[in-house]
Amino acid sequence: MIKNYFKTAWRYIKKHKAYSLINILGLALGIASCLIIFLVVQYELGYDQFYKKSDRTYRVTLNQLDFNPSVSMGVVPALRTDFPELEDVSQVWYRKSALLEIHNEKYEEKGMMYADKYFPEIFDQHWLEGNPKTALTDPNSIVLTESIAHKYFGNKEAMGQFIKLENKYNLKITGVIKNVLGNTHLPFNMIVSFATVENDVKGMMSNFYAIADGSFAYIVTPKNYHISQMQSLMHGFIEKNWGKDIAKDAKLPLQPLTDIHFDQRYLNNTISYTTSRETYYALIAIAVLIIIIACINFINLATAQAIRRAKEVGVRKVLGSTRSQLIKQFLGETTFMVLIAMILGLLVTAFFLPLLSTWLSLKISIAQLLQSSVILVTVLVAISIIILAGLYPAFVQSAFRPIESLKSKPSLTFSGLTLRKSLVVIQFAICQVMIIGTLVVAYQIDFFENRDLGFDKEAVISFKIPDKSKTEVLRNELQNNPGVKQVSFSSGAPVISNNFTSFTSPESGIKKEDVTELKFIDEDYTKMFALKMLAGESVQRTETSDNDSVHNVVVNETMIHKLGIQDPQKAIGKYILLNGSWNATITGVVKDFQSESKHKKIRPCVLLYNKNAFFMVSARLQTSNMNQTIARIDKAWSSLFPQNVFSYEFLDDHIAAWYSQEQKEYTAFKLFALIAIIIGSMGLYGLITFAAAQRGKEVGIRKVLGASLADIVFLFSKEFVILIAIAFLIAAPLAYYIMYNWLQSFAYQINIGANIFVIAILSSFIIAAFTIGYQAIKAGIVNPINSLRSE
Amino acid sequence: MLQLKNIYKWFNTGSNRTFILKDINLDIKQGEFVSIMGPSGSGKSTLLNVMGMLDEPNEGKYIFLDQDVLHMKEKQRSEIYKSHIGFVFQAYHLIDELTVYENIETPLIYQNIKSGERKGMVADMLDRFQIVGKKDLFPNQLSGGQQQLVGIARALIVKPKLILADEPTGNLNSKQGEEIMNIFKELNGEGVTIIQVTHSEKNAEYGSRIIHLLDGRIEKES
Ligand SMILES: Nc1ncnc2c1ncn2[C@@H]1O[C@H](COP(=O)(O)OP(=O)(O)OP(=O)(O)O)[C@@H](O)[C@H]1O
Ligand SMILES: [Mg+2]
Repeated sequence: MIKNYFKTAWRYIKKHKAYSLINILGLALGIASCLIIFLVVQYELGYDQFYKKSDRTYRVTLNQLDFNPSVSMGVVPALRTDFPELEDVSQVWYRKSALLEIHNEKYEEKGMMYADKYFPEIFDQHWLEGNPKTALTDPNSIVLTESIAHKYFGNKEAMGQFIKLENKYNLKITGVIKNVLGNTHLPFNMIVSFATVENDVKGMMSNFYAIADGSFAYIVTPKNYHISQMQSLMHGFIEKNWGKDIAKDAKLPLQPLTDIHFDQRYLNNTISYTTSRETYYALIAIAVLIIIIACINFINLATAQAIRRAKEVGVRKVLGSTRSQLIKQFLGETTFMVLIAMILGLLVTAFFLPLLSTWLSLKISIAQLLQSSVILVTVLVAISIIILAGLYPAFVQSAFRPIESLKSKPSLTFSGLTLRKSLVVIQFAICQVMIIGTLVVAYQIDFFENRDLGFDKEAVISFKIPDKSKTEVLRNELQNNPGVKQVSFSSGAPVISNNFTSFTSPESGIKKEDVTELKFIDEDYTKMFALKMLAGESVQRTETSDNDSVHNVVVNETMIHKLGIQDPQKAIGKYILLNGSWNATITGVVKDFQSESKHKKIRPCVLLYNKNAFFMVSARLQTSNMNQTIARIDKAWSSLFPQNVFSYEFLDDHIAAWYSQEQKEYTAFKLFALIAIIIGSMGLYGLITFAAAQRGKEVGIRKVLGASLADIVFLFSKEFVILIAIAFLIAAPLAYYIMYNWLQSFAYQINIGANIFVIAILSSFIIAAFTIGYQAIKAGIVNPINSLRSE
Repeated sequence: MLQLKNIYKWFNTGSNRTFILKDINLDIKQGEFVSIMGPSGSGKSTLLNVMGMLDEPNEGKYIFLDQDVLHMKEKQRSEIYKSHIGFVFQAYHLIDELTVYENIETPLIYQNIKSGERKGMVADMLDRFQIVGKKDLFPNQLSGGQQQLVGIARALIVKPKLILADEPTGNLNSKQGEEIMNIFKELNGEGVTIIQVTHSEKNAEYGSRIIHLLDGRIEKES
C-alpha cells in the first residue's frame, strides 16, 4: 500500500511540476534555515560548555562602580590560601597581541595569554604534544595551537623550538594543542607560562586596584559546593586581604563560566563579545516563522488544488478506500515531498554553511551537520511540517463525497477561500515584521557607527609609539608625509584605549570618589578630531609631568552636569581633584563625544596635556592613495623602531568592531527576512497562477465585454492590496513592540520613525506586484477566444 | 438481491420541493440484467447511485442482500459495496496517475489482498480483456473504449455480485459499445447481476428487464 502511495505521489509531483517545485523549494529553504539557525543557536548558547568542569567553573570579577572582568593579580594567590577546598584556581593574563621573533623574523600575533600550570586542569584541551600537567610549570615555556605551530614551523617539529616574546623572553615550546573551539570567551592561540612574567608583575600583585587589562581569575568548586555560600564569604575575604576601606566599596562577584558570554554588564569586546540569550530565542522564533510560511504555501496550494483531486478521491472511495486510508495516502504524499525537501535542505545547508560561517563569523564546519542533535532536529522539523502542512489538506481532500466528485461536471463547493486569505495575511504579516525588524537594526547600526559620535572619525588611523623619546622625530616625519592631513599624539584617539581615574570636587559637593575617563592629549587633539569647544580653550603645550599636582584640564559636558553646572561658561575656573592628588582647573568645556560603545552611557571625561603619556599616534589621511601613505608611514616607523612591528587600525574599523554582534544580528535578520520573503512570494505566485487558470473563462468573458488589460490586472490585484493592508495593520504594532524592546537594551537608540513603516508596506506592495504582475498580465493579454473555446 | 420500497428523493430549492425520485418500488433478483431508460433529468443516475449506496434517499426502505442498508453506519455500508458491488462510469473515472495495471490492482489493495495473489488476479483480468500489452500505459494513452475496458476490469476484479453501470457506452462509438455489451452479457451468464443506465434502445435490449423512468417515477417496465 505504501508503495502504491509513493508511486502516486511521485507521479503527481512530476505531473504538477510548478506546484511541486514551489512546495518542495519552499520547504527545503525553510528546513535549511531551521538547520542553520539551529547550528548558530547551538554554537552561541553552547559557549564554554564543552569544558568538562564548565558547570563548576567561575570567573572572579570586580564590581566597583562598574563591572570589570579583570581583577588584581593578587586575588588568585589569596584565594588559594583562603579557600583551600577549591578544586582549581588559575591565573590568566590575556594579551590581545604579542610581538614574536622566530628565526630572526618579527611577527605580530593575536591571542597570546599568560596562564599558570593549573589552567589546563580547568580548560581541558586536546594535547597533540607535550604534557598538560607540566608544560606550563617552568618559566619561559610556551604552548601553541596546531595552526600557529604550523604557521611558523610548517611541517617541522615545533616542540623544543624557541620563540622570542616582546624582545624580552626566550621561550621554549613545551606543548602543541588542537585549535581552541570558536565558541569560548577566551579564544587563545598561545599560552605562555605565568611563571615567565611573575617577577615583572609582583608590584601589581599587592595592590587591589592595580588591574592589568585581561587579568582573569578562574576557580573550580568541588562537586556539590554552594557557590552562594562562597559568594557571601567574599566580603570578609577582601577585608582580610586588602582592608576595610576597600571591602566597603568593592565586591568580587563569582561569575559562572557558562554565563560569561551572556553577561552584558561586562563589556569586553576586545577579547570576545557578549550577547543576550534573547537574540537567539528570537532567531529560533524566526526559524519557526519561516517554517510556518512554507507550511502555509503548502496548505494554500493543496486546498486550492483540492478540486483537481476530488475525482481521484471519489474513485478511490468507490473502489473501497476508507477515509482514513485516503488521509494516510495524502499524508504519505506530504511525507514524500517533505523527504525530498529535507534532503534538498540538507544539501543547501551543507553548500552555504561555509559562506554563512564567514558572514556570521562562526566557526561551524560541515562535519557538524552529522551530529545526532542535528539529525534529530531535522527529523523533528520534518515531522512538524508533515503535521502542520499535511493534516488539514488531507482532511479536506478526503472529505469529498464520491457522488459529488464523480458527476461528469462536478459542482464542488469547497474553495476554502477565507482560510487561504487569512493564511496569506499571516504570511504578509510575518514578512512585514521581518522587514521592519531588519530596517530597525540597520538604522540602529548606522546610528551606532556614524551618527552623533561627537568627533570626526573619517580616514583616521591609530598606531602605537613604542619609544616616547622619538615623538618629535616621528611627528616631523608624519607632517612631511603629503598623504597625512593632521597628526595628534595622545594616550588614545576618542575611541581607543580608555583610562579611568577617580575624582572628587569638594567645592561642587562631590565628596565621595566618582569615576571619570582620563585622556592625555596634545594641543592638536581637539582640532584634529573636530571636538566642539563649548567654552574656554583647549589644552596648551606645557612641560608638566606626572609629578606636578596642578593641571589645566578640558572636561566634557557630562562632567559639568555631574558638578551641577548647566552653562559651560560657568564651569570655567572650577576645581576638581583627580586621582586623589591632582588639582585640576577647568579651562575648557567640550561637547560630549563617544569614547566607548553606545551600549554604555557617556561618562565624565577629563582631557589634559601630559607628553609622558602619549602612547598613541592618530593621523588623518588624505583619502586618495591611502595605501601608499600607510606604506610610507610603515617605512618611517619601522626604521625608527626596528625592534617592533608596525600595526595600525582605522577608527572606523575599531568602532565597527564594537557592534560586530549587532552586525551579525543584522546579517542574520537580512538573510532570514529575505528567505521568508522568497518563500512567501513563491506561494503567492502559486496561488495567483492557480487563480489565473481558474478564472480564465471569467477573464475571457470580461474581455469580450470590453475590459482593458488594466482592468484585468486590477481584478487580480485588488484583493491582494486589501490583504497586504490588513497584514500591515497586524504587523506594524507587533513589530513596533518587539523592536522597541530590542532597542531598550542600548544606552542610546534611534526612534522608530514612520519612514520604516512606509518602506515596509511599500516593499510588500512591490514584492506582491512583481509576483502577481506576470500572471495577471499574462491572463489579461491572452486572446479571449482561447479561454472561451475550451468550454 | 435488492429491494427498494417507497423511495423518495427530493431537493429543497427555496420554498419549493423538487422531487427527483417519487415512490420507487423495485425488486431485483440475483442474476438479472436490468436496463434503466428515460429522458435526461428523469433521475436515472440518482436511482443508480441510491442502489450503489453512493447517495441516500430522503424516504423509503432499501434492503440489500437481506440487510436494511439505510440504517447502517457509513463504514459498514462501504464494507458492503467494497465486496459486492462494482461500478462502471460513463466517464470511466480511471486514476490518471496510475497505470492500467495499477488501476485494476487498486481495489484489491483496499481489500488487503496479498501482493502475490494480486499479481495473479490482475494478470487474469488483463488476459480476459486482452489488454496485457497496455498494462504499463497511463489512462490518457488509451482510447475511450480501451479505458472503459480497464474500468470494467477494475470493477470485476473483486468478483462483485452486482455491477452498476451508468451509461457505460455513452462516450463510445457503436462498435465499442457493442463489445462492452457483449462482455456484460457474458458476465451475466456467469451469474453476475447487472444494472445499467442507457439511452440506447439497442443496448437496453441486452437486458432481461427494462425499467422506464419519467420525472422520477417508474413509468413502465418491460
Ligand atoms: N444537487 C442537486 N440539487 C438540485 N437538483 C439536482 C441535484 N442533483 C441532481 N439534481 C436534479 O435531479 C434530476 C435528476 O438528475 P439525474 O442526474 O439523476 O438525471 P439523469 O436521468 O441521470 O439524466 P442524464 O440522462 O442527463 O444523465 C435532474 O433534474 C437534476 O437537475
Ligand atoms: Mg445520468
